[in-house]
Amino acid sequence: METSVGRPIELIAAPSNLGLRIPVRGREPGTWRAPAALLAAGMESALNAVEVVELPRPPYTVEAQPATRIRNGITLREHALALADAVCAALAASHFPVVLGGDCSILLGCLLGARRGGRCGLLHVDGHTDFFHPGNYDTATRLGSVAGMDLALATGRGELLLTHWPEVGSPLVADEDVIQIGDREAEVDGHGQLPPSIARLTVQEVLRIGIDRAVEQAAESFRQTGLTQSWLHIDLDVLDRRVMPAVDSPGSPGLDFDQLGALISGLVRTAGVVGLDVTIYDPQRDRRHAYPAAIVDCLAAGLAALAAGRA
Amino acid sequence: MITLLADAPSGPHAAELEQFGRLGGLWRTSIIVHPADGSPPRHARGEWEFGYALEGRAVIDVWQVPPRDELEGGQRQPNQEIGLCVRIWDPRLQLWRFTFHGTASGAVVHMFAREIGAEMVLEQADGGRLIRWIFSDIGPASFSWRSEVSADGGGTWRLEQELTASRQKGAAWPTTQ
Repeated sequence: METSVGRPIELIAAPSNLGLRIPVRGREPGTWRAPAALLAAGMESALNAVEVVELPRPPYTVEAQPATRIRNGITLREHALALADAVCAALAASHFPVVLGGDCSILLGCLLGARRGGRCGLLHVDGHTDFFHPGNYDTATRLGSVAGMDLALATGRGELLLTHWPEVGSPLVADEDVIQIGDREAEVDGHGQLPPSIARLTVQEVLRIGIDRAVEQAAESFRQTGLTQSWLHIDLDVLDRRVMPAVDSPGSPGLDFDQLGALISGLVRTAGVVGLDVTIYDPQRDRRHAYPAAIVDCLAAGLAALAAGRA
Repeated sequence: MITLLADAPSGPHAAELEQFGRLGGLWRTSIIVHPADGSPPRHARGEWEFGYALEGRAVIDVWQVPPRDELEGGQRQPNQEIGLCVRIWDPRLQLWRFTFHGTASGAVVHMFAREIGAEMVLEQADGGRLIRWIFSDIGPASFSWRSEVSADGGGTWRLEQELTASRQKGAAWPTTQ
């Protein structure tokens, strides 16, 4: 496995809400506000970041766009390509990119940027499988939201618009190169059901065996497939709703902040993580600004080995 | 109308434009339509003409069924199709944007397209269906095209139409060379 220790952290702000439906008529999802909230809470200094790159906020559209049944599908592709360029540039500079979302749709751009350097696995830490695709829901009755489809799209399931990419082609990542960690057994209803080809550790399993053992299993799984590097996707809805309710789809059971920090730390140490994204925190659901500091502390704990490398 | 057509691709995306631009010229087509109800296939003939347009930033084509030399009295009937396709490479999306306007059917079709392997694949999500138009076996004298539809998100595809095209000698539009 490659090690990222010693690589300076580069923050990339990706203020997107393109992958979410409108929560309340007349008001867009608020995840685009998260990067600013996290930077204001001291993320740059906490991670000892060497650089902060801020991407522009992409425009959200309520209406369906031509030739696609994915909400904001065209805008989302354009944003993913721009984000991929930023991630690729960070990796080329031997930095460790930490991408601040934004909703989970930013995973596509992150993974595309990482994949330009060759084969790269995906550690999909998420309270949901995010595996909706046109084969398991009725695309005629509603527009698809990429925040619930990102793993399906990343593994090549869905419209050409978001599954075929320059240089990499399709899929962004093979099923066998993915580990899903943290979804809730009780919420699997057959629509987001993962195929057996994708390895999975539910949050119940993680809580039962403990963080250290979960990290060992994930790292061992990657070693067996011959992977040497991976991208880490962290959807904050993997946290228990009691500690993180300010997300689009909070749930329980879930991790606490200490457990998530330990999981990040373990995976970065053992699973060849070259970069990560953190998604779905919605400041509009957090009127008292109660959570940015906890998120910053969690990432600082998880990335302490990298941040210390530049101290 | 002298500003519509162009002799060659232009600009920084000329290489991408040649993905469709290589089809420049006039083609004779033989079409097989496979009805969704399982009834016997129908056969038709037509013409298909491709060329560069808009100062070399687009590739357009004119689709005709039947071909002009099979029109009774030299006149196309209202229910006989002649349609226009416009393809523009969008560098921001790294995809082709495509529209078709059918004068007989009234159809207006929007699709995205990308070169996948040796094929040019156009796709549209329409309601609960995915529709693909695929150019394949592209050579200097012939190519194939097919239309497929999937009702299960791309798990399975049903062939709707297939077409073979043969280049008409001495009737080529200007191409890149």
